[in-house]
Amino acid sequence: MTARIVATHRTPSASGRYRPAVGSTSEQIEAEVHRVGAELADAFPSPARHPMKALDARAMELAAADLEIRAALFRFVDVVPACRSMDDLARHLAGFLDELPDGPPPVLAAIKVADTRAGRAALGAAAAAGVKHMAHRFIVGETPGTAVPVLRRLWARGIASSVDLLGEATVTEPEADAYAARCADALRSLSAATARWPERPTLERDGSGGLARANVSVKVSALTPLLRPDAPELGERDAARRLAPLLREAKALGAHVHIDTESLDSREAVLGLVLALLTQEEFRDGPSTGIVLQAYMRDSPEQLDQILEWASAHERTPPPVIRLVKGAYWDHEVAEAGQHGWPVPVFEVKAECDRNFEALTRRLLAARPTVRVAIASHNLRSVAHAIAVNRSSGADDGDLELQVLRGLGDDLQDALAARGFRVRTYCPVGDLVAGMAYLVRRLLENTSNESFLHAQASGVPLDELLAPP
Amino acid sequence: MFAATTSTSTFTNEPVLELRRAAVRARLADALATVDAVLPIRVPAWIGVDTREGDELLSTDPGEPERVVARAACAGAEEVAAAVHSAERGAEAWSAVPASERAAVLIGAAAWMRERRLELAALEVRECAKPWPEADADVCEAIDFLEYYARGAVALEAGRTLAQAPGERNELSYAPRGVAAVISPWNFPIAIPCGMSAAALATGNAVVLKPAEQSPACALRIVQALRAAGAPPSAIALLPGNGEAGAALVRHPKVHTIAFTGSLPVGLEIIRAAADTPTGQRHLKRVVAELGGKNCIIVDADADLDEAVPAIVSSAFLYAGQKCSAASRVLVHEAIADALLRRVAGAARTLVVGQAEDLATDVPPVIERAAQARVNRYAELAARDGVIVAGHGQVPDRGWFCPPTVAAELPAGSAVLEEEIFGPLLAIERVRDVEDACEIVGAQPFGLTGGLFARNPATVKYVRARSPVGNLYVNRGITGAMVGRQPFGGNRLSGNGTKAGGPDYLLQFVEPRVVTENTMRHGLVV
Repeated sequence: MTARIVATHRTPSASGRYRPAVGSTSEQIEAEVHRVGAELADAFPSPARHPMKALDARAMELAAADLEIRAALFRFVDVVPACRSMDDLARHLAGFLDELPDGPPPVLAAIKVADTRAGRAALGAAAAAGVKHMAHRFIVGETPGTAVPVLRRLWARGIASSVDLLGEATVTEPEADAYAARCADALRSLSAATARWPERPTLERDGSGGLARANVSVKVSALTPLLRPDAPELGERDAARRLAPLLREAKALGAHVHIDTESLDSREAVLGLVLALLTQEEFRDGPSTGIVLQAYMRDSPEQLDQILEWASAHERTPPPVIRLVKGAYWDHEVAEAGQHGWPVPVFEVKAECDRNFEALTRRLLAARPTVRVAIASHNLRSVAHAIAVNRSSGADDGDLELQVLRGLGDDLQDALAARGFRVRTYCPVGDLVAGMAYLVRRLLENTSNESFLHAQASGVPLDELLAPP
Repeated sequence: MFAATTSTSTFTNEPVLELRRAAVRARLADALATVDAVLPIRVPAWIGVDTREGDELLSTDPGEPERVVARAACAGAEEVAAAVHSAERGAEAWSAVPASERAAVLIGAAAWMRERRLELAALEVRECAKPWPEADADVCEAIDFLEYYARGAVALEAGRTLAQAPGERNELSYAPRGVAAVISPWNFPIAIPCGMSAAALATGNAVVLKPAEQSPACALRIVQALRAAGAPPSAIALLPGNGEAGAALVRHPKVHTIAFTGSLPVGLEIIRAAADTPTGQRHLKRVVAELGGKNCIIVDADADLDEAVPAIVSSAFLYAGQKCSAASRVLVHEAIADALLRRVAGAARTLVVGQAEDLATDVPPVIERAAQARVNRYAELAARDGVIVAGHGQVPDRGWFCPPTVAAELPAGSAVLEEEIFGPLLAIERVRDVEDACEIVGAQPFGLTGGLFARNPATVKYVRARSPVGNLYVNRGITGAMVGRQPFGGNRLSGNGTKAGGPDYLLQFVEPRVVTENTMRHGLVV
């Protein structure tokens, strides 16, 4: 934290809200991190307003406290959509809880009713309702159409969105075609719906120009069945013939397409594909696109070198958005490396990952206007840090986008919106079957003992939460 | 770049190449060029310090049959006799070497292979059309066998603890059996012959290795590795040759142990021949047999098809289905059969059929013309008896390619459902439920590998209890057993359950001896 960033005179933001001038020394930035963090913490909605959330939190607490229960619950959640009846569902629940070394915990003693058919039906119905409720926290609707009212309400409250179409894994060509068609449909229906939304200047402009209202996140693994870790060119070629029409569509509609990064197995294909396509002449002036940088990867600084080198060599309007995330495939990466005897590609110590996140934040913010920057984190410290560094660089708050996940970052989202920051919520859309893999990943993340949200929920003092990693 | 090991360090699997990284992939072309530059490789009959080169056997690249990979001698009856005679003396000397020194030789051979990993894998790419990731995994497995059995033999030398009463001392130790004949297949052309030979050598036996006639060059590298690491010439002989050489070895009265991996008919012949005790033979031969399979994957209604489909497809079609562990039948719950069938067929259609050297290749050619004809025959039969839901694809016309094929609606009793095809042909059958599937598996004569996709722990428990197979894989693919992690081998007609790469394997190569000594002298325990 010794880097000095040139400070320029601060101007009031568009909203005219007063902000203190921020110096550039690390002490001054730390002071600003604490100020912003405290301000955001103050703006968090009170838990009393969300009785259902408190209930969820209790379930999460239970899961986080006991690894065996956590495993049983996740395996259950994972199989819910594949169960054919309430009876079947209850049998699965009973099966998982029977596996627990100490038997089901008292809070789950309802399992005893699984001995009768009527009991199982009741238990199954209750469990299904529970999982459905949980899923709805994270998934905004089954289709873009049903999601639009939710997205519009968010927009009205000053919150932008990016829609992610959940789907089953793509293993065949028709599945890849179907996913591409769903993406095109989402681009069209979101563009049509968002055109009628009221103006929200914070969400619609930054220093680089206008920002699309319709924003869709796309997964390359769903655009081709040919992603092979050992032969990335194969999947790249196949995905390109479906992604290019989507980019054309988005360009015509003025919508934004964000290409998600998944596990390391497909990373080379994804980056290769996007950089190659965006270099093509027809996409030099649009659509607005974005990619993702995962801070938990040990080699993410070199990834950023590659991205920035490309971005400065191929200037685009609008500039590409780089979404900085921690990364959602940590367990997968660690297990896969362990099974093959490979070096673990991700940071295994949380503080190292957090420090890297901040280092990448600084580099990204300094790389503007060649790129636009979106900081996607639920860690109050990481978010406050990005805001403080942004301010210290003399940029406007509006030149930084903050992103959260639907269901996990709701409180932070509300606080950021309340304080006038540009926040975008990543909103998965899809049915329960398709959404389950996503849901399980989110739940794993939420109940990890290392999770910031867990620390926050268990009452760690603010000063500690905001301390440098 | 690769760490050296000793027999006292803990065993860990040799890491396979991380081919998802471009820098690692970039090294493969050079390795292939290095190997191409030395083709064809001369593979002699190598007995003691004597070598005899010959041109009787040609091994060719299955993807480019004009390319001769090896010119090998074909060992005749006299050479078999000479090899066994040399091994008989070799066994005497080698058995007197302490286990730790024998282990050091094996670990040295592992190091030799480790230094040449890419070239060895490249040789498999050429000689057996084994695609890079699998060729590399095969070399790693060979290294694993050397390292694993080296440690196991050192542990075995300590014997086992017996009950002791006052005034007596009981000791159990294990002695090498003598001469081991190793008769190996071409589909894991380095790992399997290396593993069988390493187990015999580690425990103090001498080895006569008769590799498959399709892969003599790969076998030569194993013997070179062991000799370079200090295995005495009389402890390991190489006899490239055909079935006659193998049969002569099996019948030889001075052979004590026969380690065989291959087909059921040959395995049964060996077991029958080994039961004979010709004049001059003063022991019972032991046969270690790893034979065929007809491996089933059961898919229950609650399976996660996103996981099941890719696992089924890779288990059935990688290396063109030429693994004894490969999936041959899928038994799917009728509630999800349509979806599974559609998705497996669609996924099979995306498979890339091509040369083994191309990293994009999923399905390489099969090993030889006769194999191609056999697989095609079964595919025609499947089309006649049932419905082909994926297949008929165009394949390159040079090389022994077969299109990956998925068949359905085959009637019970069809040869496609009962016989080992050993090629890229998968049959999918509907079942009423898991119990029904278990009945079908239970009625099979084979019992090698099996798979289950189900998410209810009670189902997993049920199938575990009913499954006769040697290796059952739950919610994952059914190939790719790792040394020390998934000891491998089948039951029923698939083999005698000896589990290569497991803690009990070495016991096949030793005979237990118990010594009981009276420690009383004049009524005193001394």
